[in-house]
Amino acid sequence: MGVLLELKDLTKAYDTYAVVDHLNLTINEGELRCLIGPNGAGKTTTMDLITGRQKLTGGKVIFDGREINGLKEHQIVRRGIGRKFQVPAVFRDLSVRENLEVAFNRTPNPFSNMLMFFNRTDKKRFDEIVELSGLGDRLDHKAGFLSHGETQWLEIGMVLTQNPRLLLMDEPTAGMTEQETLKTSEIFKRLKGAHTLVVVEHDMTFVREIAETISVLHLGKLLAEGPMHQVENDPKVREVYLGAEGISDAA
Amino acid sequence: MNGQSSNIYNDPKAQWFAYIVLFGVLALIPTFGTEPFQLRVFSSYAVYAMLAVSASMVWGFGGILSLGQGIPYGLAAYCMGATMQMQFQTPDDPIPSFMLTNELNELPSVWQPFWNTSVGLILALGVPTVVMVVFGFLMFQARLAGAFIAIMTLAMLNAFYSMAQDLQPFTAGFNGISPPNAFKAFGVEVDPYSSMLYWINLGVLALVTLGSKYMLQSKFGTLVRATRDDAERVRFLGYSVAYYQIVVFVFAGLIATLAGILWVMTQQYVSPTAFETPFSIYMVIWAAVGGRHSLFGAIVAAIVLNYLQTELADISDMWQKAWLLILGGIFIAVVLLLPRGLAGMFEYLMGFIKIGGRNSSSTRVSEN
Repeated sequence: MGVLLELKDLTKAYDTYAVVDHLNLTINEGELRCLIGPNGAGKTTTMDLITGRQKLTGGKVIFDGREINGLKEHQIVRRGIGRKFQVPAVFRDLSVRENLEVAFNRTPNPFSNMLMFFNRTDKKRFDEIVELSGLGDRLDHKAGFLSHGETQWLEIGMVLTQNPRLLLMDEPTAGMTEQETLKTSEIFKRLKGAHTLVVVEHDMTFVREIAETISVLHLGKLLAEGPMHQVENDPKVREVYLGAEGISDAA
Repeated sequence: MNGQSSNIYNDPKAQWFAYIVLFGVLALIPTFGTEPFQLRVFSSYAVYAMLAVSASMVWGFGGILSLGQGIPYGLAAYCMGATMQMQFQTPDDPIPSFMLTNELNELPSVWQPFWNTSVGLILALGVPTVVMVVFGFLMFQARLAGAFIAIMTLAMLNAFYSMAQDLQPFTAGFNGISPPNAFKAFGVEVDPYSSMLYWINLGVLALVTLGSKYMLQSKFGTLVRATRDDAERVRFLGYSVAYYQIVVFVFAGLIATLAGILWVMTQQYVSPTAFETPFSIYMVIWAAVGGRHSLFGAIVAAIVLNYLQTELADISDMWQKAWLLILGGIFIAVVLLLPRGLAGMFEYLMGFIKIGGRNSSSTRVSEN
């Protein structure tokens, strides 16, 4: 399996203070990578830099062999990078169905979309997403009326609808109940393999459940990388996460 | 298209039917033997209704609070005014009288193209469109939103107002241009007091309304509403938000442009009042009172509010002066009590009529 995403000396600095500091990271095709680290480690900023939401001050983002830094957000999305935000972002005034239909981006051209109506949507793919996100009986409800967990699943569904090659998920279980977290990890296990995922997460139970490789960030730098058992016994990681208690209790 | 909803208000078929009934009823007005003077008043209501549709599109659906819909409207009106003025002038008498009083001895070059009626009409459509494309591009590329859009459009509107006022030799300044004759095209004279003009105005209103409605039901329309909700999310679904905003801004501008052209055909008059701030704010108020998520509501509100204003002005001078206060009061009442306007109230009432007996409509949606 080839390399899908490569960050080379990625840097984001405000004046002299680097939020992301010469970060090197390689994500292989088909991998599920968890990005963890204490608050202020630069996890969300790293996602912002990959997706073009913030401009980097140094280094390179290479996606599928091509440099993508400098492209606009929507152009990066069209290259095949989907993103779920930390605070769930759905269209609250639109129905669940409309939310998913908007996410079906077959053409970005406004004039072609004037001639497009939803009954022609790709039914099979649509049903798959609805089944995966478990929102089948909610399709005609306004997204604003969904519960917090359902809103998160809807956004995950919307990102999946685009069929991106790389999925960036920023805290997909934030604010979820235990049951909801469990359902979310089921969704992620099904995505594994078919998609390449990078997941930022604080919930260690969830990380333990889904992760293959974990990258630990601290103060904008890569602190450690490897499978769960290796990372959680790493003394540097233990120190960063509340002294000797280790990351297992940090969540 | 939004699944089975129990509220008939949300049924697309019922919505189209309602529009057909509305325009059908309005089309019958001249057959009731309406006085020519009154008919012209109704013709101008059709123009106001177009402006309300324009405001509803750009603000209600697009979420772009433009207080500058008077820009395309006024520019089109001035181009149309110039075209009609030049239809009156002859090669022996080529200079409009207001220019002579401003000591112009020959026709200025910006007025030359208006000798030709077709060129004049093309300019009336083209000039506002180009201005809106450039202005929209500058604003939306810079990702302006919310109150900043309102401030920018308002400032631009006032710039045009000052120009119309101050370039007296070209625009007749404060007095404005009053072409002496009715508009003629293809050998037909469009008498402002005729049912023909009323039907032209109503026809264009129906065309832009149904065109807008069609667009709102397409994927483009859903995307425009999505942009209003969360522009960032739309961007991260791979769409260029600025592109969509420019298109809806220019489209709404085009509706206002058509309104400007028809206004001058109806009133044979154009002055800087077209660019006045209150007038552009009225358009937003009409859309808000009608329900900013309903084109139907915007049309009804524009007609009813203007009818009310005319009737009150007829009673006495005092009532005419009080109109601004009354309108302001209505606006405040709507914002506080009916945030979704008359259309929202209507939707609520229709919710009591169940079809199919399925669950409550309150959480189900279909706009427009």
